[in-house]
Amino acid sequence: MQYLLLAPILFPFILSIVLLFNKWEEKIRNRWVLCGIIINFLLLIHNVFILKENRIHVLKLNEFIDIYIKMDTAGIVFCFLVSFLWILTSFYSIGYMHDERKQTRFFIFFTATLGVTNGIALSGNLITLYLFYELLTLFTFPLVIHAGNETALKAGYKYLIYSFGGAALSLFGMFMIFSKTQSLDFIPGGIIQPVFTKELSYYFMAYVLTFCGFGVKAGLVPFHSWLPSAMVAPTPVSALLHAVAVVKSGIFSLIRMSYFIFGPTVIMLIKGNDFALVFILITILTGSFLAIHQKNLKKRLAYSTISQLGYIMLGLVVFNPDSFAGGMLHMIFHAFIKITLFFCVGAIMHITGKTEIQEIQGLGKQLPILMWCFSLSAISLVGIPPTNGFVSKWFLAIGSLQTGSFVIPIVLLLSALLTAGYLLPIITTAFFKPIPAGESVYTEPSPFMLIPIIILTGIVLLTGLFPNPIINILDTIAISVI
Amino acid sequence: MKLITSLPLIEILILFISAFLMPFVRKNKNIKIVSVTALTFSFILSVVIVINVLQNGAFYFNTGYIDTILGIQLYIGPVESLLNSLFLFVIILVACFSFFTIDSEIRENRIKLFYIMVNLLSASILGVIFTNDIFNGYVFIEVAALTSCGIVVVKETQDNIKAALKYLIMSTIGSGLILMGIAFIYSFTGHLNIDLIHQAILEDYTQYQKALLITIALFTSGLGVKSAMFPLHTWLPDAHSTAPTASSALLSAIVLKPFAFFLIKIMYRMIGFDLVNQFNIITIILTLGCCGMLFGSLAAIFQKNIKRLIAYSSIAQMGYIFFGIGLGSPFGAAIAVYHMIGHAVTKSALFMCSGLMIEKTGYKTIDNYKGLGHEMPITFALFTLGAFSMIGIPIFPGFISKWYLSIECIHLNQLLLIFVVLASSLLNAVYYFPIIINGFFGIENLKNKEYHSKKVETQKLLPIAALILAMVLLGAFSKNILDFISPELH
Repeated sequence: MQYLLLAPILFPFILSIVLLFNKWEEKIRNRWVLCGIIINFLLLIHNVFILKENRIHVLKLNEFIDIYIKMDTAGIVFCFLVSFLWILTSFYSIGYMHDERKQTRFFIFFTATLGVTNGIALSGNLITLYLFYELLTLFTFPLVIHAGNETALKAGYKYLIYSFGGAALSLFGMFMIFSKTQSLDFIPGGIIQPVFTKELSYYFMAYVLTFCGFGVKAGLVPFHSWLPSAMVAPTPVSALLHAVAVVKSGIFSLIRMSYFIFGPTVIMLIKGNDFALVFILITILTGSFLAIHQKNLKKRLAYSTISQLGYIMLGLVVFNPDSFAGGMLHMIFHAFIKITLFFCVGAIMHITGKTEIQEIQGLGKQLPILMWCFSLSAISLVGIPPTNGFVSKWFLAIGSLQTGSFVIPIVLLLSALLTAGYLLPIITTAFFKPIPAGESVYTEPSPFMLIPIIILTGIVLLTGLFPNPIINILDTIAISVI
Repeated sequence: MKLITSLPLIEILILFISAFLMPFVRKNKNIKIVSVTALTFSFILSVVIVINVLQNGAFYFNTGYIDTILGIQLYIGPVESLLNSLFLFVIILVACFSFFTIDSEIRENRIKLFYIMVNLLSASILGVIFTNDIFNGYVFIEVAALTSCGIVVVKETQDNIKAALKYLIMSTIGSGLILMGIAFIYSFTGHLNIDLIHQAILEDYTQYQKALLITIALFTSGLGVKSAMFPLHTWLPDAHSTAPTASSALLSAIVLKPFAFFLIKIMYRMIGFDLVNQFNIITIILTLGCCGMLFGSLAAIFQKNIKRLIAYSSIAQMGYIFFGIGLGSPFGAAIAVYHMIGHAVTKSALFMCSGLMIEKTGYKTIDNYKGLGHEMPITFALFTLGAFSMIGIPIFPGFISKWYLSIECIHLNQLLLIFVVLASSLLNAVYYFPIIINGFFGIENLKNKEYHSKKVETQKLLPIAALILAMVLLGAFSKNILDFISPELH
C-alpha cells in the first residue's frame, strides 16, 4: 500500500499516456480528463488520511541520485491546492478550448503537468525536487507555445532559457550544499549545522545562488521578464502558470530551500535574508508600478502576479511565525484570487474577443455575474475585508512590524495602494462607463466556464470569513520549522 | 592463467586477422558477417577480461615472454578492461547499423574496404588502450590515424576528400609530436615501458625537469590534435560531417577517446600525479578544456547542418574530458574516463539518429526537420533522450559527470569552474532543444513536402535503442562504475 504514495504523481502521467494513444472524440476525451483528475484528487485525499506522513525511496542510485517521495504537512498543503485547482481548471479548459485546435495535445500536457507539480510538492529531498522542477519546464513549454505562431515560440524560448538558467543557478547552490552536508534531505529547521565562521561567505554564496535560481520561476524582479511574455499561452494555461503550477512551484522550492535545507537560524547568521529582502521589496514595487502602465488585461494581471509573489516571498524571509503563516496563506489565497481573475479575463476574451482595458466599457451590465466575480476577487487582492486577501496581508503586516523596521510596512502600504490603483479602474470601466453605441449583445459564458468561476469566488469570500482551519494547519508547519 | 592473461592479445589478433582475411571474401554480404563475427568474438573475450579483472585485479601480459625491457607489455586494469568492452559494444552496434545504411552511402566496391578499415581501426584502438609501452602505443596510434582517415574517405565526394586530407595532415602532425615526445623520454630515461619510465623519472627527474616539461607539452599537444582539444580541433567538424553516418558515429564516439585515455596514462601512470601537478601544463589542459566546452557549444549553436552540429557538440564534450584530466586529481581523471564511456554511447546514438533523419528526408539542414517528430516518432524520441543526457537532465550519464565534476571543483576549492560546467550545459540546451521542439511541434512545415520514405525499418532502430538503453544503464550504475575505475587511478 505504501506505493499508493506515488499515485498523485504517476496517475496523471498514466492518464496523459492514455490520451496520447487514443484518438477519442472531444466529448469522450473530456470525460476521461475530468474523471482522471477527480480520481487523482480522491487518491490524494486517501493518501492524506490513510497513509498520513509516509515516505518511500523510489530509486537510490548513488549518494546523490535518490528519488525520494515524502508526505509532510507543507507538501500536503501545496499538493492539495494544486490538485483542487486543477479540477476547476480542467472544467474551465473544456469550456475555453472548445473551439481551439490541437486540443488533445493540450490535454496531454495539461494532465502531465499536474503529475509534475504534485511531484514537486511531495519531493523528499532537493534532488528529487530539482528533477521535477526541470520536468515542469519541459512539460509546460508545449502549453506556452500552444498557439504555434512566431510570438508564442519566441515567448516559449524565453521561458525555456530563463527556467533552465535559473535551474542551473540553483544546481550550483546544490553542489555547494551537498559537498558540505553529503545530504539533501528536507528536514524541518534545516540540515546545515554547525556553521563555522570561515564558512559564512561560502554558505552566503550558496544561499544567493539557490535563492536567485528558484527565484526565476517565482518571478523575482531582475529575472521576471519571462512571465509577461508567457501570456501568449491560452488563458487556462496562463491561469495555471500564475496561480499554481509554475510560479508557486518556484515559491514552494524557496520554502523548501529556506526552511528545510538552510534553516532560519543559518540564513540569519549568514545575513542571507537582508540580501533577499532588497530583491523582494524591489519586486513588490516594480510589479505594481509596471502593472499600472499595462493596457492589456492579461499583461496587467501578469505584472500584478509579480508584485503579489513579492508579498509571499517577503513573508518567507522575515522569519517569524506570523510572517511565515502570512506568506503561506498568501500563497494559497493568491492562488484562488489570481486564478479567478484570469478565468474572468479569459471568459471575456472568449465571449467578446476583447483584450484591452478601455474596450470593456459597460461590460458589467452585459455580463453581470462574471464581472461581479471579477470585482470581488479584485477587491480581495487589494486586501479589503471580509475577503481572504485581507487575512493574509494582515498576518504579513503583523509579522513585518515585529522586525522593528519601518521600511517593510511602508512598502506594503504603498503597494496596497498601487494594487487598488491598477485593479479598480478595470471595475469602474466595466460598471460605470456607458455601453458604447453599436455594441453587440453578449451573454454569460457556458456553465463549464462560469461555474468554476463562481465556486472560486465563493471560496475567496468563505476563506476570508473563516480562515482559522487553514491558519491552524499553517501554524503547525510554522512551529516545526522556526 | 596463461590463457586468460593472453586474451587481450588474442582479441587484437582476431580483429587484425579478420581484416586481412576480408580481401579474399567475394560477396559484400559475407564481409559484413566476417566483420561482425570478429567483433563479437572480441567482445565476448573482453567481457571475460572484465570478469577476470573484477575477480583477480589488474594484470600484465608480456608479448612473446621476452624480458620487459625489450618486449612489448600490455597492462589491463579496471579502466582498460571497461573501456575495451564498452567500446567494442558500441562498435558492434554501429557496425550492425551500417549493414543497412552503408550501401546507400558509398560505392559498392568500397564496402569491402570500409569493413577492413573498421576492423583494423577497432584493433588499433584496443592496442592503444592496452599497451604499456609507449612506442608500441605510437604504432597503434598511427594505424588508428590511417584507418580513421580511411573510413572518412570511402565516400569519395569532393568535400569528403578535402576533409580527409585535412584530417590526415593534422593527425600526422600530431603523430610527429608524439614521436618526438617518445624520443625525448627515451633519451633521458632509456626506457619505453611506462612503469619503468615512471621509476626512472621518480629517481632523478630533478636533473631534467625542463626536458620533462617539454615532453609533457609534446604529448599533450600531439594527443590533443588527435582527440580534438580546443584550438587543435579544426579538422573534426569537416571530417565528421562529411563521412558516412556509421563512420561519423565511430569517429565521434570511439576514435577520439583512446587518445585522451593515452594522455591520462602518460600523465598519471608514466609521470605520476604529484609530479604532474608541479607543472603548469595541467592548468593549461584545464583552461583548454573550459574553452572547448564553451566554444564548441557556441559554435554548434550557429550550425545549420545537423551532422556539423553534433560534431561541434563532440568538441564541447571532449572539453569535459580534458576538464576532468586538467583538475589534476585522481577522481577528476576517473570522471573523465566515465565521461568517455557515457559520451561514446550517447554520441554514437545521436549520430545514427541524425543519419536516419538525413536518409529519410534527403536534407542535411535542421530547418527541414520541423515536424519530423510526427513522421519518425521513435527516432526522434531516441534523439531526445540522447540530447537530454548531453544537456544534463538528472539520472542520465551527462548529469552525473557534471555533478561529480562540480563536486570535485568544490573539493579543489575552484568554485568558478562550476560556472563553466553549468554554462556549457545551458549552451547544450540552446542548440539541442530547438531541434527537438521543432521536430515535435512544427507540424505545419510538413505540408506540401515529399520525403523519401516515411517508415524507418526496425533493424535500423534497434542498435540505436540498444545504445540508448546502455546509456540509461550507465547512468543508473554510475556509482558501481566509478567505484570500479577510481581506485586504479588513485
